Amino acid sequence: MDVEAKRIMALSISKLYSLRTQRGGLKLHRSLLLSMTMRAARDIYHTAQLLRDAEEEQVVPCAPDAAPEEPMEISKDSPQTLTPKEVAMKPQETVEEDKENRCASERHSRKRRGKTALETDFLPLKKAKMETDEEKQHLQGEVLRTNNGNSCRQAETLTAFPTNRTIVAC
Amino acid sequence: MAGAGGGGNDVQWCFSQVKGAIDDDVAEADIISTVEFNHSGELLATGDKGGRVVIFQQETENKSQPQCRSEYNVYSTFQSHEPEFDYLKSLEIEEKINKIRWLPQKNAAQFLLSTNDKTIKLWKISERDKRPEGYNLKEEDGRYRDAATITTLRVPVFRPMDLMVEASPRRVFVNGHTYHINSISVNSDNETYLSADDLRINLWHLEITDRSFNVVDIKPANMEELTEVITATEFHPHQCNTFVYSSSKGTIRLCDMRASALCDKHSKLFEEPEDPSNRSFFSEIISSISDVKFSHNGRYMMTRDYLSVKIWDLNMENRPVETYQVHEYLRSKLCSLYENDCIFDKFECCWNGNDSVVMTGSYNNFFRMLDRSQRRDVTLEASRESCKPRQVLKPRRVCAGGKRKKDEISVDSLDFNKKILHTAWHPQENIIAVATTNNLYIFQEKMN
Repeated sequence: MDVEAKRIMALSISKLYSLRTQRGGLKLHRSLLLSMTMRAARDIYHTAQLLRDAEEEQVVPCAPDAAPEEPMEISKDSPQTLTPKEVAMKPQETVEEDKENRCASERHSRKRRGKTALETDFLPLKKAKMETDEEKQHLQGEVLRTNNGNSCRQAETLTAFPTNRTIVAC
Repeated sequence: MAGAGGGGNDVQWCFSQVKGAIDDDVAEADIISTVEFNHSGELLATGDKGGRVVIFQQETENKSQPQCRSEYNVYSTFQSHEPEFDYLKSLEIEEKINKIRWLPQKNAAQFLLSTNDKTIKLWKISERDKRPEGYNLKEEDGRYRDAATITTLRVPVFRPMDLMVEASPRRVFVNGHTYHINSISVNSDNETYLSADDLRINLWHLEITDRSFNVVDIKPANMEELTEVITATEFHPHQCNTFVYSSSKGTIRLCDMRASALCDKHSKLFEEPEDPSNRSFFSEIISSISDVKFSHNGRYMMTRDYLSVKIWDLNMENRPVETYQVHEYLRSKLCSLYENDCIFDKFECCWNGNDSVVMTGSYNNFFRMLDRSQRRDVTLEASRESCKPRQVLKPRRVCAGGKRKKDEISVDSLDFNKKILHTAWHPQENIIAVATTNNLYIFQEKMN
């Protein structure tokens, strides 16, 4: 199931990228459907990954009830913690034609690098995989660089990053 | 032909004509993007990706030979839209004709609206079969005569000439839409029309090009909160205050323009609860409505989503009264169809003249006739192999799995590049126009 989810996610992302170069301008309907499918696949994939990580961490099941509870809590939280990240990611997935949102996407242009680094795992082949440590450092670097307190929206992304690191660490 | 436009499976369909190039190498500009009969059915218009409109006219029937079918021949061809470039946004605007809608005929001339992604145009199509001859000051070729040679005075007269059909743009409606226009619909008042893009619907007056009223706006304040877009809109055939619009979430909203100027709040919301057993990654995509059409009598409306056609009673909002599966065998193939982008194909649908049968397209150049009154359906194919005059079309069957019977075609053998997205039904007779990628097929009811 999560293999399928990962494949669909990678497929969706590459389709979203190729949409931007198509003749006639960005098709809003198509990009909306693609990003919805991508997010659904990503949620499944992340949930599956969290469950797997949680299982790997179970060394001694001293309290048999406690162990299954942990992954449950995390997976319950993940949709919520993903939401601010989603919010931050969405402007990159739907290229805004409106002027009022253009500034927002420009401000996120730096963040785009971070996001790509996060998803190199899922993009087909081309980019070299970054190790988890490097990834964390890179993200931390991003946080420091963009932490200039200019916009509240960036603050949202900042809160998303620590949560993400929490997931990776656990 | 006295046909009432009725009958579905009692009707046997025969090949009548095919228009377009024969070779398999399809030029992109020739891809047909819309097909529409006018209100009398005498004229049939097609629009293509190259921005051209071709109008066919039905020959006047030969009364002495009732079995002789009236054929459609080219009446007029013109370039409706050209590719444009929006310099401000650095975007190319495609010339592809998204929709054509005819206006009811008021005088000798015919009028139609054609639209691409951004601009709607009103075209006047008129005939000229006489021309004035015998001017005093000009020669017949237009050169001015030497005044000294003019010794007599004569009255110019009209003389017959070869029929010439002229198309001229009478109105150009620009700058009404930020997003891509997906549909237009002429009001029954014959004065106004709607145009819809992904997020907004505008009401125009046919005479006024420099402004329009925005009647629906679903753009959220924060684009990140966008969850659905408008996919089609249509005016009610008789009530000039009522229109519907469909969404990418599978809902249809009916709006009454008498209720308020801005129709963001719907009068009715048509929505069927999702079947949880069918839930998949692609549920959102396949529930997106690609077309909505009122029945001729105005009591029902039909919607097309990726796998089915639904008929709704305007008085019942919680579920459709009829649901027809177009190609249910594709449900297990959604992932592959997502990969090759076919899952995003927007199929249209249409009613026959007396609302007893509906038609929609599928893949492999198949199209489906769904008989509401007899609860039967048939799959037919538009193919060059069934092109003999008056050749009866044989029903086709698709084998979903397991043992393939003789004459059946398996799902894996279907050609997903051969899709029928656009179909039209003559308003009164059993004549249908079916567009494959670059060919237009005309089928008629078999006459005995």
